[in-house]
Amino acid sequence: MTISGRVAGQADGRRNSDKVLFRSKSLNKSFGGVHAVRDISLNIPHGGVFAIIGPNGAGKSTLLNLMSGLYQPDSGTMSLDGVDLVGLKAHRRVRLGLARTFQKIRLFKHLPVLDNVIAGFHIHHDIPAWQYVLQGTAFRRDYARCRHEARKLLSFVGLEERAKARAGSLAYGEQRMLELARALATSPRLLVVDEPAAGLNAAEVEKLLDRITQLRAGGMTVVIVEHNMDLVMKVADRVLVMDYGQYLFEGAPAEAQVDPGVVAAYLGA
Amino acid sequence: MSSRDHTELANPFDRSSVSRRWWLLGAIVTIGLLPLVFQDSYWRTNLIVCALNVMLAIGLDFILGYAGQLNLGHSAFYGIGAYVSTLVITKLGLPFWVAFLCGIVLAGAAGMALSMFAVRLRGHYLAIASLGFAVIVHQVLVNWISLTQGPLGIYGIKPPPEIALPGLPVISFGNSANMFYLVAGFALLFYVLLDQLVRSPIGETLTAIREDEVSASSLGINCPAWKVFAFGAGSAVAGAAGAFYASSVGTLVPDAFIITESFTILAMVIVGGMGTLIGPVWGAILLTVLPEVLRGFGDLRLVLYGAALTLVVLFMPGGIVQAAQIVRAQFDRLRARLEAG
Amino acid sequence: MSTVLLQQGINGVVLGSLYVLVALGLTLIYGVLVQINFAHADVVTIGAFAAYFFTFTFGGNYLASIAVALLVGAILGWLVNAAIFAPLRERGSELLPLIATIGVSVLLQNVMLLWFGPIPYAFDSPYSNQVIRLWGGTFITGQNLIIIVVSTLTIALLYAFMKFTFMGKALRAVAQDRETAGLMGINPNHLIMLTFVIASALAGMGGAMLGPILVLTPFAGTTVIVKAFAIVIIGGFGNVEGTIIAGLLVGLIESYTTQFVNPGLIDIVVFTLLLMMLAFRPTGLIAEKREENV
Repeated sequence: MTISGRVAGQADGRRNSDKVLFRSKSLNKSFGGVHAVRDISLNIPHGGVFAIIGPNGAGKSTLLNLMSGLYQPDSGTMSLDGVDLVGLKAHRRVRLGLARTFQKIRLFKHLPVLDNVIAGFHIHHDIPAWQYVLQGTAFRRDYARCRHEARKLLSFVGLEERAKARAGSLAYGEQRMLELARALATSPRLLVVDEPAAGLNAAEVEKLLDRITQLRAGGMTVVIVEHNMDLVMKVADRVLVMDYGQYLFEGAPAEAQVDPGVVAAYLGA
Repeated sequence: MSSRDHTELANPFDRSSVSRRWWLLGAIVTIGLLPLVFQDSYWRTNLIVCALNVMLAIGLDFILGYAGQLNLGHSAFYGIGAYVSTLVITKLGLPFWVAFLCGIVLAGAAGMALSMFAVRLRGHYLAIASLGFAVIVHQVLVNWISLTQGPLGIYGIKPPPEIALPGLPVISFGNSANMFYLVAGFALLFYVLLDQLVRSPIGETLTAIREDEVSASSLGINCPAWKVFAFGAGSAVAGAAGAFYASSVGTLVPDAFIITESFTILAMVIVGGMGTLIGPVWGAILLTVLPEVLRGFGDLRLVLYGAALTLVVLFMPGGIVQAAQIVRAQFDRLRARLEAG
Repeated sequence: MSTVLLQQGINGVVLGSLYVLVALGLTLIYGVLVQINFAHADVVTIGAFAAYFFTFTFGGNYLASIAVALLVGAILGWLVNAAIFAPLRERGSELLPLIATIGVSVLLQNVMLLWFGPIPYAFDSPYSNQVIRLWGGTFITGQNLIIIVVSTLTIALLYAFMKFTFMGKALRAVAQDRETAGLMGINPNHLIMLTFVIASALAGMGGAMLGPILVLTPFAGTTVIVKAFAIVIIGGFGNVEGTIIAGLLVGLIESYTTQFVNPGLIDIVVFTLLLMMLAFRPTGLIAEKREENV
């Protein structure tokens, strides 16, 4: 399995003629008295970059957590490529091809950089059970393949020099890229990136956007959750704007910028 | 935090598979020679206890050091293994090795049950749940007199039956040297088994769970299932230790499995170096042997455990393994300086 | 029959209020530090021994010895925090401080064992044998009356302190969100120290009053501590009201179990209740959900 094949998201040979990869209808989630996500319906098409934006507190992260399975919705439906997601645990969604990164970086800080990426291959190991103890040929082959693929992913994000370093010793921007590499190791079809630009300087943001563009070129569907409108405009094909947990606008980025509701939300009312 | 924090310093115990085979050979040879060096029954008993402690420590390290589950109830699995195997022999009349297997299976099942029960509990809650579990098990052993004879205990437990293979001399386990070989042999076997698991993607999975469960789930890892697995494996090994304890010591009282025992095993794991598997081996050996060497000072054994545990956590959290890394790094630096200068 | 019920009820309340004193310390520490202090038990034991020696070796007044135990407890709390929790706080590990306190606990217990020996000390307070008749044919010993009075006063004072004074509110602020509290000019480290001192003072006091009731050996604290954990969990970690209710509840359960069922089964009953609690309502009786921030 080559890296271009992986980032193209065609690893499992599933070809979907339906244009929508992720679909949700009337999603709702409340915490105590706070109605964080209200009645959100969205359709994320195959391929391309889809951005979910809105001011802080708009409910974007909650929506993301609903998508990835960290929270279960109070009501509403969600499906990935036709497979119902409601009630499905987070780790099972990874097998369906959904991967995510975290706003607050959650790397395995005490482990080496390479090991962090290798952890992402969990669902792709190809070893019969008994060989976990009596480590034979299949084991060695899998071992070598994982290390090889991990290095390729690291070089994709520009971290191949730092493979042996402790993940916690990386600079903040490098840690973000490592998180990206680790998520890519799961061979996702849908990659959800949470506030990727938070804490990055301009150069680092450029680098990140460049990688995302490359992923899109390879055919992957990428969802970015962001509150910085300008950033998103550079790379998104389609945008969902939220505020107070509610839908404000969905469509092309250029139109979002001039939509009166969106403008009011961002400039305050 | 484990010794892996110091990745820049090479772990002197982490060797390539070739040198690991040499170390294994060395261990086998050492085990073979020990009963010849120590001929008196007092020290031989200590050797057996040492081997039992090694088994307990590596089992706990698998749960605590690798899967990151704070299990304070390890003494309960030890006790379950001991009592189940003994009662299967005395009450059901089944042969030793069947009873041995029962002890392992039931201890493992108890571990899995505790883990499944506590699956949503994190850190401190799990610690207290496991402690509560250990108290309940101990109290059951004390109070269910018709089954366990309570505080009076069970006496006259026989060692495993002789092994008579054609053409070879009969191996009797009443002989303490042979008993030691048996227990130490199994300890080594369990070590190798756990070590292989740890060096495989299973070890990586457990480490991921230990470091950050939310993160691990986002990579497709089924955290609850793997935690149950780790608990089951670690407690099964403790159960085996229990079965050997009963048949080598010959008598069984509930107070051998009070919660303080969990703390001493914990001390061995921490002092040795949590999350390294080999560290707890050294920790078990050190904390079993040292109090005997210092015997002149009276009942200082537990004072030693308490002090060691506290000081290690405060000043050398990676335990013996971390200390070895630092020493090794100093040697390397010294050597480099000598070569340059 | 109702006399027995009432009597055991009274005994249960006495026992319960002592458990509350000990458990409150644990829950306060957890609330502020999110850490469990295993050595808390031994502060109780040391408080008991301090009271014992003050009363019998130095010939002091028993009531004064309670104050002495309080002081001793306070000092110990200061020491444990300074030596263990403060240095480990920077490391940011959840498990290490807990394990360190286990080490301290084992150390303290066995040092006491070497020093005091395993034979129980007969700690009879001058009030143990005074009997006061109450209504319905029940009675209460002078000692138990003191326990109820002192405990209730202390708990009430503490509760008022937490709810109404600035310090108390600051403590709760630090418990909720350490960073923000810090930003508001409250020094979390000082407050954490204060919490420890209060918590351990309570434990010491509890020990002084428990001394005449329990079997006084170096391990006296352990019999109480695991129950104290049970109480803290049932009541909810960090939840003061819950701890008070749970403590009284456990005291009553213990009292009634001793009377009507086998006393050897007390621990099993209490801990099964604990495990049930953990299974179905880990946040305690008066639930206070803390959502994980991702």
